[in-house]
Amino acid sequence: MFKCTINGHEVEVPEGASVIEAFKLLKEDIAHYCWHPGLSIAGVCRLCMVQIDDGPRLHIACNTLVKDGMKITNQTEVVKEAVRWGMDFHLINHPLDCPICDQAGECGLQEQYMKYGQYDSSMAEKKVKKRKVVDLGERVVLDSERCILCSRCVRFTDEVTKTNELGIFNRGDHSEIGTFEDQPLDNKYSLNTVDICPVGALTSKDFRFQQRVWYLKDTDSICTGCSTGCSIKVYHNKEGLFRVKPVFNEKVNGHWMCDEGRDLYKHVNAPVRLKQILKSVGNEWFPLGLERALDHLNEAFSKAENISVLITAQHTVEEYKALKNWAQQLQDKTINFVYWKNNPESFDSFDGLLIRGDKNPNTKGLLEAGFEFADASVLDSSDLVLAPMPENPAVYPKYMEKLEQLSKLQTQLCLLSVSNITQHETINFADGTLAIPMKTAFEKAGHFINHQGLTQKIHKGRVIVKAALGLDELLQAIKIGKWIQPQLLKSRKTNESSKVSGELW
Amino acid sequence: MNEYIPQADKEFILKELKRYETPISALIPSLFCIQKRHGWVPAEAVKELSLLSDLPESRINEVLNFYTMFNKKPVGQLHVQVCCNVSCAMNGGRELAKHICETYKVGFEQVSPCGTVTVSPVECLGACDKAPMMQVGQAYYEDLTNESALEVLEKLAFEKAKVSAHV
Repeated sequence: MFKCTINGHEVEVPEGASVIEAFKLLKEDIAHYCWHPGLSIAGVCRLCMVQIDDGPRLHIACNTLVKDGMKITNQTEVVKEAVRWGMDFHLINHPLDCPICDQAGECGLQEQYMKYGQYDSSMAEKKVKKRKVVDLGERVVLDSERCILCSRCVRFTDEVTKTNELGIFNRGDHSEIGTFEDQPLDNKYSLNTVDICPVGALTSKDFRFQQRVWYLKDTDSICTGCSTGCSIKVYHNKEGLFRVKPVFNEKVNGHWMCDEGRDLYKHVNAPVRLKQILKSVGNEWFPLGLERALDHLNEAFSKAENISVLITAQHTVEEYKALKNWAQQLQDKTINFVYWKNNPESFDSFDGLLIRGDKNPNTKGLLEAGFEFADASVLDSSDLVLAPMPENPAVYPKYMEKLEQLSKLQTQLCLLSVSNITQHETINFADGTLAIPMKTAFEKAGHFINHQGLTQKIHKGRVIVKAALGLDELLQAIKIGKWIQPQLLKSRKTNESSKVSGELW
Repeated sequence: MNEYIPQADKEFILKELKRYETPISALIPSLFCIQKRHGWVPAEAVKELSLLSDLPESRINEVLNFYTMFNKKPVGQLHVQVCCNVSCAMNGGRELAKHICETYKVGFEQVSPCGTVTVSPVECLGACDKAPMMQVGQAYYEDLTNESALEVLEKLAFEKAKVSAHV
């Protein structure tokens, strides 16, 4: 360990740490665009200037290693002057179109501009015109004029995905990033380039012009897209969920997440959701109050001899526990648990970076909950099937087929569904089938256990469908015959993004 | 298969690749080899070179776009580079470039309708004492006037035509 002093504060850093890492350790303010902890060092933005031991020349903090006893500062006038001019160079060809830029509010350049900007430009020359709205494939849009050539995205495609799509072409003030022959940027991690872009040059097609970032609150959660369980932040406001971004988690996902995971908020938003309890009578659906629904359920459960639970690994540890307890209390009944795996052929696949074939966040949690699983064939002989459905049925290709098959056998179903299953065209549900709106992982608190066996917490975020129940809440309500709204938890302090302003990842 | 990099060029490129520690060092000779063959560097040739050298296309394109001496677009049989830097400009280099363009009815960096000429205004070529000057292919033509420059071009075009007639 080396000891060094940063802006008067002493700090110990491991040998081989760079000066900027020491700044980060102390949470001292330091501007930087090209340095990213998950990428190699480029040293091109020249903004992380520091003065070391009153030396005559300034150093860049990202590419200078800490030595024992170093006295480092970035508060002297010399450093401030250098940073001011460094930013002026970045702004020579930057359009400063913050009012129409998606990055505004979380832009590194904008923050520096507020501190050091001259407001009245001293440049007499015209700005170099570059390409605007360049379509970089399915998910990313490039605005070359806003780009400050930090090369983070280029290094990302070189080092992380190793797909090498992006490059810096031309030279001097005509330099711009792009792909060979404008080929699309179609790797499965392309939206990470949008996250690491310190300015608004790379923007997400999905989030573009949807919301101003300062109108969004965020909640920490875990991605439910696969068993990797990346740490994420979900951004939302009263209109719904808008985007998902990765959060650094050394043990799981590092700094990144896949593009697929970022789409998961879409099935949570109101238009596709089941919003009230519906009962099927003669191929038509009728809304039902909760009390009536519970009466109906209790009756169905007491009548049924042979009950099956068609369970997937998409629920929280707490919900499995509740399910287990519930089953233990109904000892006079036969309750079979059927574990439904998604796409068994590709279940164990892994792409080498983050994406796993097991599209469930809690497979370990389900297996460790202590259920004894029965063969799927018991479903056919059941009187009543309780089916807490997967949140995103798209990743369960054969699940709907099974429900259709059961409905043909006139099996009564109790569906707990996120998507509006009653819109399904081909299934004719048996009379008495209930469809109950279910909470998504973003609307409930709990724990998931990922493929490594790491238990991770999800936080309750914005509730989109008020009538939705978690599996544990439904079982509790069945038990006591009514649903008691738990005292609302004091909402967590949200909008942490404003607290960490200055952090560029 | 090797439409854009024929066997002879391929052998040259492979030899260059072996010469250096990293394949990226062999890029410039390889690209010049391609340019010599086609007059410019087509995107398809970059793709073939990428397979040959195991370098990503974007890395090759970075080098290709950085240097102005690689032609990214097709050029005419005669690539006329007229110096428009200080000494030549003072002695009528810019006017000379314009005059050639007007004569061949072509704009800068375009291929003339007859396919013979592409005119590029360039920076100093290091022959300031003989201004104005132009470079056609590898050769320098110095102390030019509008008339003498056109004469040179006509002669060169005639020779080119003669060679292609023989072929």
